[in-house]
Amino acid sequence: MISIRLPFVGQCLALLLLLFICSWISLFSWSVITITPMDALHALYDMNAESIAQHIVHDLRLPRVLVGIMVGANLAAAGVIMQGLTQNPLASPSVLGINAGAALGMATVSSIAPWFGLLGTSVAAIIGGGIAWAFVMLLGSAWRGGNEHGRLVLAGVAISALCAALTKAVIIIAEDQAAGVLTWLAGSLADARWQTFDSFWPVCLIGLLGAMLIAPTLNLLQLGDDNARNLGVSLMWVKLGGSFLVLLLVGSAISSVGAIGFVGLLVPHMARMLAGQDHRKFLPIAMMLGACLVVLSDTVSRAIIYPAETPAGAILALIGAPFFIYLVRKRTL
Amino acid sequence: MSLSTHNLSVGYHDKAIVKQVDLTIPEGRIIALLGPNGCGKSTLLKAMARILSPMEGQVHWQGKNLHSIASKKLAQQLALLPQTQPIPEGIKVKDLVAYGRSPYTGFWGRINKDDQVIIDKMMEETGITELADQLVSELSGGQRQRVWLAMTLAQDTPYLLLDEPTTYMDLSHQVELMHLLRKLNLQGKTIITVLHDINQAARYCDHLIVMKEGEIITQGSPESVLTQTMLKNVFSLDAQIHQDPIAKTPMCVVE
Repeated sequence: MISIRLPFVGQCLALLLLLFICSWISLFSWSVITITPMDALHALYDMNAESIAQHIVHDLRLPRVLVGIMVGANLAAAGVIMQGLTQNPLASPSVLGINAGAALGMATVSSIAPWFGLLGTSVAAIIGGGIAWAFVMLLGSAWRGGNEHGRLVLAGVAISALCAALTKAVIIIAEDQAAGVLTWLAGSLADARWQTFDSFWPVCLIGLLGAMLIAPTLNLLQLGDDNARNLGVSLMWVKLGGSFLVLLLVGSAISSVGAIGFVGLLVPHMARMLAGQDHRKFLPIAMMLGACLVVLSDTVSRAIIYPAETPAGAILALIGAPFFIYLVRKRTL
Repeated sequence: MSLSTHNLSVGYHDKAIVKQVDLTIPEGRIIALLGPNGCGKSTLLKAMARILSPMEGQVHWQGKNLHSIASKKLAQQLALLPQTQPIPEGIKVKDLVAYGRSPYTGFWGRINKDDQVIIDKMMEETGITELADQLVSELSGGQRQRVWLAMTLAQDTPYLLLDEPTTYMDLSHQVELMHLLRKLNLQGKTIITVLHDINQAARYCDHLIVMKEGEIITQGSPESVLTQTMLKNVFSLDAQIHQDPIAKTPMCVVE
């Protein structure tokens, strides 16, 4: 595996710088009303109330970038935890059915009981994702660990297909809600506002901290279930706790911006190439990389058919799908 | 009296492989578990290391049920070297051995000076010091087995449970391993090991436990256990027992 030999702290600083540059570009680029790069910076610390451009940056662009950063970090961390728990390089929220399950939960509630509002759909997304994940784990006998890689992925694909079919059925039955659900299914940051940010960041913070706390244990899981238990890891608690964290991370991200796929699959592998196999190191790297990737695809998503927007999820799928195929070919599953 | 099983039945998928075994491990000895393939040696060992949960009966550690003791505490008392090991990708030898210290480190797994001393010593003892910076996945089977052994030894427990530790090793490393086990035993460790080579067990171990079809057939010193009738009954082998000209222990020669 290629690895760029930069000390860990250096890598972190470089990624932070990259993240800052990506966010900055995202703040001023591709806007109908011209925003200068300096406008973007001014809006952050010394806002001119007269300037429309600075208002756009502050009220629309900034929450969007911040939500993008959190979504990216969340999905990447969730991917790392899922790959660690299942010891499966293909494990990620989108491959193992969590995205599809959350979408089904969200679509069901927003079609059948739209009066529940934003909180209702978030909870529905988490519950739907949780049920799908539980089914996939049971069907794929992931609790036994080890050599059932193909089976787990098959179970994920099957459950995803089932959830997608049911979601379509729900959309057809409740047509008036269809447009909103469809945008959400593609995953877009276009509707992220300060309100989204305010309800998102506490869960995000808890989820990411929890992910860091579980990182040293994920290291021991790499040695196989028997060795991990022998070294004093209580597997049941780690797997339950890890699954809970995954649902928290994915559920909060999905209910904020919709089903963004492939970050959870892609980014952990990129982070491993950079920082090696120690979860204590590559997990924070993955979080930052995920944030960069989502902010970057959000910027690109505005550029493609400017001035209209494409969902950022679609951009990520465009990059993600070929990478997925590359992974499948490279690894012996 | 530290490690004992009481009416213990263990197995997989509702099928008991070890059947109602009562066994007290004699402390301070090197004990070999012997028996034909599929007789339940590994299963018994895994149950004693709380990797498998009993279907019936209990395993006791110092008079307490094994499964009622906190896993991290227990990991400082019992260490198991499993029979088959995964091949972890991208992990260096020195890092793998260091994971053996995780029952002692804080949750973050930071290695302190004392830990490092033990890690270095165990790598020295198992002869893998010069492999320290290589990836585990790039080693040969025998080298890898010694790396895993070093990790288990780094756990620094009074009881060691080894499942066929000589697998993949060439003869000289096998002999070195048996000497290392004796050295550890003289430092006060109790070692329970599954072995395939009966003569190796008779030569290097103090106490033999013979199993067949999930039950313990006989146990005791090599002299009392290794008999023509036992070999016939348990292994269906016609063999003669002779005295090893060097170690003066009994050895069997197949007819």
